[in-house]
Amino acid sequence: MSALIFTIVLGIIVLYLGFIKNKAILAPVAIAGLLISLYLSFQDWGLGSKYFHDMILFDNFSIAFNISMLIITILIFIFGIDYYEDMKLHVAEQYALMIFALAGAFLMTSYSNLIMLFLGIEILSIPLYVLAGGKKYSYRSNEASFKYFMLGSFATAIFLFGIALVYGASATFYLPEIKTFIAQFHGHLPPMLLVGLLFILIGVAFKVAAAPFHFWSPDVYEGAPTLVTAFMSTVVKTAGFAAFYRLLNMGLLPLPIPLEKALWVMTALTLFVGNLGALKQTNFKRLLAYSSISHSGFIMLAMLSQHGSSASVLLYYTFVYSLATVPVFIIFILMKRASERHEELFIFRGLFKTKPWIAVFMTILLMSMAGIPPTSGFMAKYQVFVLSISQGILWISIFAILMAIIGIYYYFNVVREVFTEREQPSVIIVSKLNAALIIVCSIAVVLLGIFVLNIPI
Amino acid sequence: MILLIILILPILTGLFLLPFRSAAVVRPIALAAAVINLLITLTLVLSPLATSYALDWISFLGINFSLGYDGISLIMILLTNLLFPFIILAGFNRTQRNVHILNFLILSTQSALLGVFLAQNAFLFYVFWELSLIPVYFILLIWGGDGRKTITFKFFIYTLTGSLFLLFGIIYLYQLTPGPHTTDFAAFNKLSIPAATQIWLFWILFIAFAIKMPVFPFHTWQPPTYNMASTQGVMILAGVMTKMGIYGALRFLFPVIPQGVLYWQNTVIVLSLIGVIYASLIAFRKSNLKMLIAFSSMAHISLMVAAMFVLNTYAIQGLLIQTISHGVTIAALFYMVSLIKEKTGTIELPQLGGLKLQAPKMALLLLIVVLGSIALPLTAGFVGEFLMITGLFQQSIWFAAIGGLTMVLGAIYMLYAYQRAMLGEKKSVFNKITDIHTLDYLILIPLIVVIIGLGIYPQPILNLFDQSIHITQNLIKPVAEVVSTLAH
Repeated sequence: MSALIFTIVLGIIVLYLGFIKNKAILAPVAIAGLLISLYLSFQDWGLGSKYFHDMILFDNFSIAFNISMLIITILIFIFGIDYYEDMKLHVAEQYALMIFALAGAFLMTSYSNLIMLFLGIEILSIPLYVLAGGKKYSYRSNEASFKYFMLGSFATAIFLFGIALVYGASATFYLPEIKTFIAQFHGHLPPMLLVGLLFILIGVAFKVAAAPFHFWSPDVYEGAPTLVTAFMSTVVKTAGFAAFYRLLNMGLLPLPIPLEKALWVMTALTLFVGNLGALKQTNFKRLLAYSSISHSGFIMLAMLSQHGSSASVLLYYTFVYSLATVPVFIIFILMKRASERHEELFIFRGLFKTKPWIAVFMTILLMSMAGIPPTSGFMAKYQVFVLSISQGILWISIFAILMAIIGIYYYFNVVREVFTEREQPSVIIVSKLNAALIIVCSIAVVLLGIFVLNIPI
Repeated sequence: MILLIILILPILTGLFLLPFRSAAVVRPIALAAAVINLLITLTLVLSPLATSYALDWISFLGINFSLGYDGISLIMILLTNLLFPFIILAGFNRTQRNVHILNFLILSTQSALLGVFLAQNAFLFYVFWELSLIPVYFILLIWGGDGRKTITFKFFIYTLTGSLFLLFGIIYLYQLTPGPHTTDFAAFNKLSIPAATQIWLFWILFIAFAIKMPVFPFHTWQPPTYNMASTQGVMILAGVMTKMGIYGALRFLFPVIPQGVLYWQNTVIVLSLIGVIYASLIAFRKSNLKMLIAFSSMAHISLMVAAMFVLNTYAIQGLLIQTISHGVTIAALFYMVSLIKEKTGTIELPQLGGLKLQAPKMALLLLIVVLGSIALPLTAGFVGEFLMITGLFQQSIWFAAIGGLTMVLGAIYMLYAYQRAMLGEKKSVFNKITDIHTLDYLILIPLIVVIIGLGIYPQPILNLFDQSIHITQNLIKPVAEVVSTLAH
């Protein structure tokens, strides 16, 4: 709890620091604050403290996810030092909004009451709507912001409607009580409850960009400033899945048959749309958007396998995915700067010639995303398949494997560009911090694949 | 411990080489490492030790870092370590870009391949299986010939597709083991899987090996990849990596799902025999020497697959001898082809001719290698293929007859190609070319010694196979059990 409060206060502090014209202190203060939050989160480990009439429960699950999101946010902020260097105005707002979004994410991992989930989603989303429009004079950015806001509020409305319906049927917002309420029907749910639950799931599925509620994500990912895109595809995604898992685990398991079927269809669709969509992309940010959708599919596969260790696999998957995504975005920005702000795949051409070490790390990161050993991305997918196959979910697993092959195809399309020679090699300037980030993240991606931690949560 | 040394010596040397850029430093060190590894392997072959190495790795997923070996692994390890010094030697005296990276990649491939053959845990096997692909991918992508981007990509996706199904199979087997689950081969071998499951599981597992070997109709990646690859790349691919498929099939299919193997036995044999005929016929029509040898390699491998699946001792013994013989022969053949390419600038048969007059020593060595590849008596190929065809004969006379066509057709197209390239009138453009150098002798003579030596006296390999039965678990026993259930 202290971590949550401290994070919100930190957001306000950073916001007010904007009045001081020296923007060089923003990122260090924000990072230092997040480190304190990290320390406070560790303090709560194992306590399982409850607040506000049990509406919030900081169990190990939520703390583990909070820590994971804090680490990723810190990495993104370090990237921000270089990213926001040229930006003259409103840098403090950018950091502050991300910190607020992070506070919302904390609520999403630790709720045990649907109202808290709603609050969390809103606190997370509203800063993101603003952040997506961060490039004020870019049509793309404005479009992204507007689209995200429109669709997002629509999804929120549906979600809220779902909560109302569930409340109407069960007279409670508390997940454990909803669980006991559902259990008494033995699988034959009254229509109002069923529709309500379905609407809630749709609302959450929108946040994690699961098909068929994914349409916003490629446009928003492409239009938003790259740093925000990195934030959305890592921290926001992790929060969304933590919320999703908590919803299922605390409130809905064992899943009523119609909901389970709906979710399986969504999983298969997400895998399909994500991978096939990525196949034809020439814009790298759109490619990552679709790849992020496809990762949602794999995570849903783990989540729906309803196994005791699903939560730790979910944590591992989201963390190593985020850890690989952040440096990929950094490399992308470096290449974008070096090639007249293009965003197509060809900007990576000739990277091996000009900066071989970046090329090697890029290959490692993409290998991790594609799930090739010895990276942690492979271990993550391996654990997902262990869960799903152990639960006898063979057909969807085979389907997921076929989709993983497509994934390898489009990731290695990029690798191929990296190792292709280019007529006029571009000049790539890497700041020391960015270089350190790329190296540290890449090494961590490999090490986490070799020394796989199993955190019981 | 000795196994761990064999495994990591190449890759450590490769890492050590990375800071050096000079070919004069990199190549001898790489070669020295490969030779030391070969010597260690030879001591292991001469006095087999009951040694193994195990380390807990990811215990909650039942994954151990356990290394061990038996007769079949040992033959594969011997082949790998035998070929790699020559593969590295093949780079000497040639201009290569980024020679330190190239040698690093070659040595990492060696380590990964050894890992495949040493792993006693299916997960570890899979990791090495994939790891072997990555350096080869870059060797092909960076040092390959024309069209390398597209062809390498196809090769990569093709083989990974197979691998992912193998991964599915491994996880499926893992969750069948009694809890706490494990991916150790020993546990897999003890499983008794329902016959109906074995039947579909067979293809899940086999497809990865079928693509690697390759078996008809999963071969389409192979000829263009061989054709495009650099000399060293193709020596690795054809010499060693095809054997991964054979080793994998022996390791996974026969002990774990014998009933599945029995069920599909004839299907696979027929597919392989189609492969034999198909590849031989195409080899006839190829005027590009490298393509021709690629298809001939496919024909020989197809015969090996057929022999593997007849499940009798003759065939398996023949298979193991042929493993070494094919690996050595094909590496020598591809090296000769690259020599011809270097000297004449072409490998198109119509443009060659009469080289024997200008370079008689090269022609003589090529003749010996060609004769080895068409399984002339007194070469290792003969022993291997003869035993395999004897094995096929016990299954069906037709199988043996069609399998025998490998030798007949092989003799025709190989000798015809030899005739077109080396004999006949000398073309005036070739007046300037020189005969082979000392370096070429260093590579070719030892390989030829192996080819002929094993042809005259194959007993060491057969002994190795028999001896190792006593020191580790008998891999052929499940096969024998299948045969005995067949008899009942």
